[in-house]
Amino acid sequence: MAVTDKTILKRLYFVTGFLFLFAGAVLFKLVNIQMVQGEKYRKLAHKRTEKLFTIEPNRGNLYSDDGSLLATSVSKYTIRFDALTVKDADFKENVKPLSDALAQLLGETSSHYQQLLRKAKANKNRYALIARNLDYSEYMAVKDFPLFRKGPYKGGLIIEQKIVREHPLGKIAERSVGYERVDENGYYTRVGLEGAFGQYLRGVEGKRLKQKIAKGQWKPIGFDNIVEPKDGYDVVSTIDINIQDIAHHALLGQLEKYKADHGCVIVMETATGEVKAISNLGRTEAGKYYERLNYAIGESHEPGSTFKLMNLVAGLEDKVIDTSDVYDTERGYWRIYRHRIKDSKRGGYGKISLAKAFEVSSNTAFAKMVHESYKENPEKYVDRLYSMQLNQELGLPIKGEGTPVIRYPDEKGWSGLSLAQMAYGYEVSMTPLQVLSFYNAIANDGEMVKPRLIKEVKEWNTTIQKFDKEVINPAICSRETVEKVQHLLANVVSKKHGTGHKLYSTNFSMAGKTGTAQKNYASKDPDKLRYISSFAGYFPAENPKYSCIVVIHEPDKSVGYYGADVSGPVFKSIAQKVYTSSPLIDEVDMEKVEDQTLEKSYQKYFAEAQKKYNKVPNVKGMCGMDAVSILENLGIEVEVKGNGKVKRQSVSQGTDLNTVDKIVLELS
Amino acid sequence: MLRVFKNIKGDKAIWAVVALLAVFSFLPVYSASSNLVYVVGNGTTTGHLIKHALLLFLGFGIIFGVHRIPSHFFKGLSIIAMPIVLVLLVFTLAQGDTIAGANASRWIRIPFVGITFQTSNLATVVLMIYVARYLTKIKDKTIRFKESILPLWVPVFLVVLLILPANFSTAAILFSMVLLLCFLGGYPLKYIFGIVGTGMVCLTFFILTAKAAPDLFPNRVDTWISRVESFWNPEDTEADYQIEKAKIAIASGGIVGKGAGKSVQKNFLPQSSSDFIYAIIVEEYGLVGGFVLMFFYLFLLFRIVVVANGNGTIFGKLLVLGVGLPIVFQALINMAVAVELFPVTGQTLPLISSGGTSSWMTCLAIGIILSASNKDNDIERKTLDIDDSNPLQVLSGQL
Repeated sequence: MAVTDKTILKRLYFVTGFLFLFAGAVLFKLVNIQMVQGEKYRKLAHKRTEKLFTIEPNRGNLYSDDGSLLATSVSKYTIRFDALTVKDADFKENVKPLSDALAQLLGETSSHYQQLLRKAKANKNRYALIARNLDYSEYMAVKDFPLFRKGPYKGGLIIEQKIVREHPLGKIAERSVGYERVDENGYYTRVGLEGAFGQYLRGVEGKRLKQKIAKGQWKPIGFDNIVEPKDGYDVVSTIDINIQDIAHHALLGQLEKYKADHGCVIVMETATGEVKAISNLGRTEAGKYYERLNYAIGESHEPGSTFKLMNLVAGLEDKVIDTSDVYDTERGYWRIYRHRIKDSKRGGYGKISLAKAFEVSSNTAFAKMVHESYKENPEKYVDRLYSMQLNQELGLPIKGEGTPVIRYPDEKGWSGLSLAQMAYGYEVSMTPLQVLSFYNAIANDGEMVKPRLIKEVKEWNTTIQKFDKEVINPAICSRETVEKVQHLLANVVSKKHGTGHKLYSTNFSMAGKTGTAQKNYASKDPDKLRYISSFAGYFPAENPKYSCIVVIHEPDKSVGYYGADVSGPVFKSIAQKVYTSSPLIDEVDMEKVEDQTLEKSYQKYFAEAQKKYNKVPNVKGMCGMDAVSILENLGIEVEVKGNGKVKRQSVSQGTDLNTVDKIVLELS
Repeated sequence: MLRVFKNIKGDKAIWAVVALLAVFSFLPVYSASSNLVYVVGNGTTTGHLIKHALLLFLGFGIIFGVHRIPSHFFKGLSIIAMPIVLVLLVFTLAQGDTIAGANASRWIRIPFVGITFQTSNLATVVLMIYVARYLTKIKDKTIRFKESILPLWVPVFLVVLLILPANFSTAAILFSMVLLLCFLGGYPLKYIFGIVGTGMVCLTFFILTAKAAPDLFPNRVDTWISRVESFWNPEDTEADYQIEKAKIAIASGGIVGKGAGKSVQKNFLPQSSSDFIYAIIVEEYGLVGGFVLMFFYLFLLFRIVVVANGNGTIFGKLLVLGVGLPIVFQALINMAVAVELFPVTGQTLPLISSGGTSSWMTCLAIGIILSASNKDNDIERKTLDIDDSNPLQVLSGQL
């Protein structure tokens, strides 16, 4: 066949040509993948391997007005145990000491933990729960326990950290402090201050791009976060923890005493509208009370007799009545359109002035007053109420404020009876905070301020935003009217016949109005009749500092239901405690006692001490104390024997100071 | 060191290409080792780097040593090595290692050293030399098919059949390379077609037997079929996973690539440091890197042709082509797999992949090519006259 160089070469060129073609095809395909299919695969690459992770910012703290913590974020740790990763020998050696240590820290018995760990080991449990919600110091302790100190791989320690919101005050004001939760659909549940000021507290989520490097493993791309997380601001609320504490416990005690369904207390600073305390307690099936719903802000109900103040102010402003007008309370009831309006006192009060009718809270007198004054022109009455912002929500940042209801004539539900009913607080509906705002306006000489729960937004020590008092209505009524009703409100407590006289104290003054509203009165069954007892007012009666409302729903009728009995004591104890905890400025004059001999001896010593010495002075006859201080001021060490006056000095008078180190004094 | 450089002989261009590829190989191998370390959980990145360096160092030792051996020695050596290779292949296959139930006994462990060794690589080099030697021997005769059965086709089929159960692609490539060499060496075309036919029949028979009686002997027939099917099947299958990742890698590389070590797909692409390293290279160095690498291999091919051309003997020519073309061919196959021009095979990228000892066999082949390119060896050749038909003369040390 005769193979020659030439034949090989010919065939070789053929083969090489083929290989070059092959290489060309590979390169063509390479370019094709990049250029033609490239977009599709690049998208796939992003989809499969890159993800934007969010970095949760730290939520800001919520403070009370004096800087005490109301809510803060802390880390909590859950400890679990991976029984499989631990070597048998290690486990055997350490299970006892580990259980002992856990028992000591967490309070269960050592055998409990031994059993737990052994069971996990036997079942090859890789995720056995040891303890939940440990705080940081406990977590640090657990990390150093026998076996666990070997770490996650050899020791089987699994740690899960989560951030929880902690309320240092506990259950007190829990509802008002509130919370903010977001569900998986991004829907926020906002409760209380946390919810209201979430925009400040929340901060800004950071964003960081991460790349998948294996199943479940992501590594950050790039040096910086795409969006840096920004921690939330701190919010200083107006809540005063002392007053809050007082209000909470006073309300709780009274609710328990009257087995009431629920109740609330609000304390507000008169001049500024700052809410100092807000407590809402509801009853559980078991008869315990807890911060259940924000009744103070959310629950709009018929206020009852506390609404008489609004009517009185309206009438006085319209100049259709005067406090000295006399009304006949007849025999305790007044029939109007086949409806009987009764007074709480059987047989009525006879003919009384409007002022007294207010103090004794006569329903008949007020019904007659409003009905007779406005029956020709009910619009005038309602317009007057409207002009005092009684039909408007306060516009609080906290979600869920109840809407006040004051019907306009000819609106659905309005009847000929409406004026008489509204006169003593029915057919209208207001929340406790709305009622309080009105009372506060009276206390504040007619200026209606908006109730406020926030004082300041801070970032560390820098103020981001300050919140000042907001005026809803600079004067809801004339100065004259204010003074009249202030006087009457004080009389409710101070006058013997006043419904609030039970609260009267010689030590401090209060002003306010009781209210006892019926609930479920439409029902024919008298057993279903329930009461709402309330007391709204302010203290001190002159120069009011705080206004306060107490509303207690459905007290046990057999124990009592009058506003003065049920709600009044809460008001009083708050007023009393706030008084006693507010320091009084008082001067005590101390009589100056002068002692001639003491004065003389001091003068003598002072004269000696002022002299300049180059030589050792004569201290004989001096008090020991004076002698020591003079000599030591000269830089000499002094040794004292006995007590009394100096009898002898070891270095005699006139010795050069430089040669003396020590001197011994003998006293007698 | 200087002395070593002084003693470097042969085609300087091949030396340069090989050295360049070897130096460059550190980059993708180091980058892709993070996959082994952090995903598979095997060793440390530095460990892989050192291992690669050691393998390459020893590989260059092999090149240096082999290229000093005059090329005609390989005739005799191939005859001696042939039976050893056959024994090793039988031994390898008999181990019966399996990957997920399929036979993957491609490696034997070298005793004491603890390094695994892929026998088929050695067998490829030895068989190619053996065939080259045979073709040289019959260069002036008119050969009949019957005559060539025993000295040529029996060893060829033995080697190929012993590799086949565990490693279809290597067997197939080896077989085609033998045919290619026969074609170059002037073996009659009609016989080659006959052999191709025989090979097809053998393969069909093998597959049918494996299908009919899967437990008769360990094999990977199912893997091959599924791989080939997934290549032709336009629908997404499980086997497309690798190729899709490879294409994602290529597509995200762009013109100039993401930069050294910045590949993302290396973490998801199985065998990213060996079988699919070309995709990773394109991802990190872009089209430019891919083209340059291809250029180096084609340049190597060009130099092999030049060396074959320049060698004065028929054996020299066939030897260079016999061990040189498989390197280039394997490289092209590896790249073709990454760009989905070829079904998935287990071929590494010669001189780049961290393929362990298989790179030593590439080095052995390079060494042989360099030896054939060394003119000094030719001069020596002319002074000696030996009858290379008797292998015992090789042993007697007369050469």
